[in-house]
Amino acid sequence: MKFSLIKKHIVLGVTLALSASLVSCNDFLDINETPNNPLAVPPSTLLPTGLVGSAFANANELNRFTSAIMSVTAGVAGSPVAYDRYNTNGADFGNQWRFELYGGALVNYQQLIDAAERVNSPAYTGIAKIMKAYTFSIATDVWGDVPYSEALLGEENTQPALDSQRDIYLGNEAEGIQSLFDLVREGIADLDKASATRPGSDDLVYGGTLANWKKAGNTLLLKFAMQISVVEPAVARDVINAVVQANNYIVANDENLAVKFGSVVGSQNPIHTYTNVSSFRTDQMISTRFVSLLQGLNDPRLDLFVTKPTGSFVTIDNGFGGTAPVYANRSLYNTYVTGPSTAAGSAPVRLLTNWQRAFILAEAVIRLGVAGDAQALFTEGIRASMTAAGVTPAAIDAYFAANPTVVTLAGTPEQQIQQIITQKYISMFGNGLEQWNDWRRTGYPTLAPHQNAVGIDGTRPVRAQYIDQEVARNPNFPNNVYSNVPVWWDVN
Amino acid sequence: MKKSILLNFIFVFALVVQAFAQGRTVTGNVTDQATGQGLPGVSIQVKGTTTGTATDIDGNFSVSVPSENTTLVFRAIGYQAVERAVGTSSTINVVLAVNAQQLNEVVVTAQGIERDVRSLGYATQSVQGEAISQRSEPNVLNALQGKVAGVNITGASGAPGASTNINIRGITSFNGSNQPLIVVDGIIFSNDVDNSQNTLFGSQPSNRLADINPESIESINILKGPAASVLYGSRASAGVIVITTKSGRGMKGKTEVTFNSSVNFQNIAYLPKFQNEYGQGTQNNYVNNSTASWGPRFGTPGFDNVTTVWGESVPYRAYPDNIKDFYQTGKFLMNSLNIAGGDENTNFSTALSSTLQEGVVRESGFNRHSVQVGGNSKLNNGLKVGGTITYVKTSQEGATMGNGGSAFGQITRVPRSFNLMGMDHIDDITGRSIYFLAPTQNHPLWSLENEFFESNVDRVFGNLSVGYDLADWLNVTYRVTADTYSDTRRQVLRIGAARAPQGQIDEDLRTRSELNGDLLITARKNDIFTEGLNASLLLGQNINQRSRKESGVIAESLTVPGGFDNVSSGTVFTGSYENNFRRRLLGHYGQLSLDYKSYLFLELSARVDKSSTLPAGNNAYFYPSAAVSFVPTEAFNFESDILSYAKVRANAARVGRDAPEYQLQSVFSRATYGNNLASVSFPLAVGGNIPGFQIGSRIGSPNLKPEFVTSYEGGFNLGFFNNRIGVDFTYFHSTSTNQIFNVAISNASGYDTRTTNIGEMRNKGIELQLSGTPIRTSDFEWDIMVNFTRIRNKVISISEGVDNSNITGDSFIGIAPSIAVGYPYGVIIGTANARNDAGELLVNGATGAFVPGVAGEVISNPQKDYIAGITNTFTYKGLSLSALFDINKGGQIYSFSQVDMRQAGQTDVTGVDRDQPRILPGVIANADGTFRPNNIQVSSQAYWTNLGGLASEAAVFDATAYRLREVALNYALPASLISRTPFGGVSLGVSGRNLLLYAPGFPSDPEINTQGAGNIQGMDMNGIPTTRNYGINLRVTF
Repeated sequence: MKFSLIKKHIVLGVTLALSASLVSCNDFLDINETPNNPLAVPPSTLLPTGLVGSAFANANELNRFTSAIMSVTAGVAGSPVAYDRYNTNGADFGNQWRFELYGGALVNYQQLIDAAERVNSPAYTGIAKIMKAYTFSIATDVWGDVPYSEALLGEENTQPALDSQRDIYLGNEAEGIQSLFDLVREGIADLDKASATRPGSDDLVYGGTLANWKKAGNTLLLKFAMQISVVEPAVARDVINAVVQANNYIVANDENLAVKFGSVVGSQNPIHTYTNVSSFRTDQMISTRFVSLLQGLNDPRLDLFVTKPTGSFVTIDNGFGGTAPVYANRSLYNTYVTGPSTAAGSAPVRLLTNWQRAFILAEAVIRLGVAGDAQALFTEGIRASMTAAGVTPAAIDAYFAANPTVVTLAGTPEQQIQQIITQKYISMFGNGLEQWNDWRRTGYPTLAPHQNAVGIDGTRPVRAQYIDQEVARNPNFPNNVYSNVPVWWDVN
Repeated sequence: MKKSILLNFIFVFALVVQAFAQGRTVTGNVTDQATGQGLPGVSIQVKGTTTGTATDIDGNFSVSVPSENTTLVFRAIGYQAVERAVGTSSTINVVLAVNAQQLNEVVVTAQGIERDVRSLGYATQSVQGEAISQRSEPNVLNALQGKVAGVNITGASGAPGASTNINIRGITSFNGSNQPLIVVDGIIFSNDVDNSQNTLFGSQPSNRLADINPESIESINILKGPAASVLYGSRASAGVIVITTKSGRGMKGKTEVTFNSSVNFQNIAYLPKFQNEYGQGTQNNYVNNSTASWGPRFGTPGFDNVTTVWGESVPYRAYPDNIKDFYQTGKFLMNSLNIAGGDENTNFSTALSSTLQEGVVRESGFNRHSVQVGGNSKLNNGLKVGGTITYVKTSQEGATMGNGGSAFGQITRVPRSFNLMGMDHIDDITGRSIYFLAPTQNHPLWSLENEFFESNVDRVFGNLSVGYDLADWLNVTYRVTADTYSDTRRQVLRIGAARAPQGQIDEDLRTRSELNGDLLITARKNDIFTEGLNASLLLGQNINQRSRKESGVIAESLTVPGGFDNVSSGTVFTGSYENNFRRRLLGHYGQLSLDYKSYLFLELSARVDKSSTLPAGNNAYFYPSAAVSFVPTEAFNFESDILSYAKVRANAARVGRDAPEYQLQSVFSRATYGNNLASVSFPLAVGGNIPGFQIGSRIGSPNLKPEFVTSYEGGFNLGFFNNRIGVDFTYFHSTSTNQIFNVAISNASGYDTRTTNIGEMRNKGIELQLSGTPIRTSDFEWDIMVNFTRIRNKVISISEGVDNSNITGDSFIGIAPSIAVGYPYGVIIGTANARNDAGELLVNGATGAFVPGVAGEVISNPQKDYIAGITNTFTYKGLSLSALFDINKGGQIYSFSQVDMRQAGQTDVTGVDRDQPRILPGVIANADGTFRPNNIQVSSQAYWTNLGGLASEAAVFDATAYRLREVALNYALPASLISRTPFGGVSLGVSGRNLLLYAPGFPSDPEINTQGAGNIQGMDMNGIPTTRNYGINLRVTF
């Protein structure tokens, strides 16, 4: 009796367990939605991601590379030593390509555009398109032909083809390639549209002031136009004339397209971190050549740009092979680039500036015959840069009075362009990428070869080699395009 | 005497009884030599005929014999056969002795089913508890090294509690876990290693089989192929290790208390040999902040004394032990107490154990305490109830490793003339490191004291089963198992740490738990359809849930210096995190086993799984297996003393495997940028805290399907000379398809990988076990056991247009553990030296250095050529000596440590003929396309430097190792000595591990892997070398 009861219960239990498992198993198994990561996020959380990505692309490793080959910094250890001797190969800049450009700022601007469109917010798509254009220009200026029209499509195109740099800048209707100019213009147009949501503090550049983004967009058109001015002067002239006539571009230092950083660990400007904090801080110091250049010009920005812990400048020459001075004594990036000592690391990364605009227009007057006063623009640029560096108006006036040959354009148009670009080079301190872009385009400032230079053929790199990992993953990439092959807009 | 049905099933092998019409009857009794009890199911055969019978349940038999010249053969599984001439006697009593070779043994197979080894159509291998206990090794997996064919076991380092990688029959999944499923007393037991830090820079957390005390183990059975493990489902596709702990089974009414104790010491085993002729500097000049030893030769005039960076004048001489003395003598103490008892119906066991270890690296240690209770009972109402529960508390403290900013990243950069251990390393005022060699780095001792990792695990696991015989042929059992633990971790980088100069504390709580419910219905019938055909059928259902959580507060920019390691010292907490994972699986399985006259066996198994991690339409998958075995010696009555046993076996199986959790969608995560050069993480403190999210780098796949491994296996077992020589050979071939993998895509797509089903991989291999007893006398025995494994793994395809792809995990750019078509799994892709078509190294004709290397080439292959282990055991009365010698042939290791030391002129090779010029091997290209041998002389320093650095082929070494792995000498006191004491047995022993090593291609011990247990192998990114252990053991039973 007792046994049979147990048996009955067991049989019943088994039957129930089996049938229950068959019936309810869909609910039982429906637990695969991740609790750890959102599947969608609002535009306000994607905009700062993109902006910081662009700032890193400009200021992190690519700045270590370009500031070294532009004789602003000199290598002491690690990669900067290689760069200083013109050595770069496909193992370099993988992180920049992957985490800062395509898989960093760019894909998140794309996500921002998609997210903002879903909530009918052209205020965000406008900024995203302007910054996407800016960031793609970094990629093409560094590597030449890069994926552009087929990029950022995810699974739809896992091996995007390369677009020529010409098509990226100028567009190609037949190929369905939108020009960087048109991408910026589309962004500016979006900013005029009604927007359901608008950026505020998430806009790490202008705090949500869209009027400034329009000025930044127009100024970016000027930068792009000047970048192609040697190879496509007519296009450049038309673009610049149109922007000048519309007269809505960056004209004040507080309108700079500059990404803000903070002063606590994890929020700091990358140049500060690799100069003063991380274990790579001993890798580079300021070059003797840069200090000598500014000393030769009596430039008041020198002390504001470069530290002198011992009371005088302690630098090494580019390509120097001996024992470097101890870290504590070295001249490094000063607070202009890294942030004030009371808020170390909080210096902004300046992507597009008022003085940059002034120098572009000054060059445009001379090179392209755009209407304007080249001398006035030239001095405006120097004055704006000095002001930003912290030189007082009185000191600027005194410098102008004491150094008339430095601040006055003279000689042939080419000599005047050399003057402009040399001052632009100084003013772009901390933005090696733009210094390199100008040097490649114009050949200025005149830079002597580095000691112990190796490179491909002993010459200063004029592009970066395609990333090994990308060459391995995407058969569209040509192999063996070395760092001595000029990009399309670099024709002289 | 009552035996369980299971035992009956195994032992009842009544051969066909065909009584002769004439003859007489002989009766008798067969008993077990060890117990004196009657043996049921012993086959009794009239020699030279097919006539015979079997003993009854008490061991009695009665058989008709044709004449007085008849000989009877008595055979039983697990016992040595005995022949007896009948003569005139009418009664014959026989005592059977257990077969020492254990060719015929009962093993625990999938789902706890005990099976006679001869019935298995697949290879398994058992290791008895004695073979792993008292071996001066606190980790079970390490103690198994070299003892099992088909199994590759590699310790990660000499750090206490470091994880141990184990792969059975090679790697079968591109991305899934290739670690076998661990089952302890029926409990699916987590052996996961939770890496909370980047494996390139972190410490080495344990994999959690470390929570099992080797002394508690009765036996380990390794189920190697999919056919053996199919009943365990998806997770067993990498094989299964079934561990049975001492449970008191078979105690026959007595209670036994066993006490084990051992005291062990360990030293760093195989540091490279250093040169002690040249000191700090470069190009024969003394340079006081150099980390290299390319300075002047000691004794060079003018270099009696040199001035250090800090301005002190010190003798310029070698400090030969400056690295050796950085390590200390480690010790560990292991104690355990087991009490087990019971009778036929009820048994119990309880165990206490304690392991206390101080590592060879200062400030490192591993402690483990456990308590276990368990028991089984058959109640009066027929219910069988059993269960165990174990609580373990394990703590681990370890050093941070890795290139650059760690003690082990610096210890390779200490010049020979640098008095590392003889100087102050702490600034008394600031508490910061004093280290003059590298201003951004720390003294290695300071790093050990101020950069460390702690883990505290509390773990409970147990099972409960209730069974009932509905009929004498039908049993229903339900079994619940649970395994849950929490791991409270803290990673401390105090203020001044090279990797976090402002300090960082990661206070991290991890929990894991797994629940399983299994319904098992077992039916057994004998003599179905025809006499001698026995069948058993198992139907089962499994409900499984696994969950884990990891949450941590990361405090950065610490404010309180010194030893206040609390997150309240932090000012920035943006790295804090939380992750939760949960998955479920519902399985139904069945197995039909047929046995014909105990010489022909067929087993058919199948399982259907439904997994939560696959998309609803694709989440159910079916997989079958079939195995046969045939014992010709039984079938054809071979009567040869030479060939005493033969079995052939074959099987085919397929096992499906599901995906990791949450792979179906693309997701966003909190944004971060940068690496150790410079980094930011959102929310960004700019005015307020600005949040930022980024799209993940992986594209999810809503159409994911299960991946499969299809395997074929064949083999044979032979026993010669009454099984004094045994051969067990297996060949296997498996194909892995539809691999769930995050395949690399162009980063220009905006992403790094996409999850998809791709690719094909093949494993082929042989396993060979040889056992022999060359000498056996009444007092002395010499046994030899040889294991040999050779596995060939090859990636056949990945996906269209993709020739290689990174293995998921941390790696340096340009040193990528990868899958590559045509290569074995896990090759490292990096920059190879340039070579001409003839394979000769190309040298620059101007400099004498190699021309620039070629990126993206396969430069290292961690897969071994073969593995062999040879154990010799000598027993003389109570004295036994066993020695395990093993060979790991081939395979390569990528070593930062060794190339670093060589490049810096520290190791002995760099001191040889230092003042003589050298020529790099290779050729120089002539203008006409021909090549001439390189004849450009360079200095020793240039030679060793130009050979290549961290990111080059020069960092790849041959990992071949011939090793005296283990020696154990044990002495059991004779019974006469202890008969008047309360002890039932006393044994004393000494043991040693890793005693001798010959590694021709590597300056140190190549058994190291800083990536820990997992799919990335063969990497030494500045790790902790292995240790050599010695111990004294005591075992007492009451």
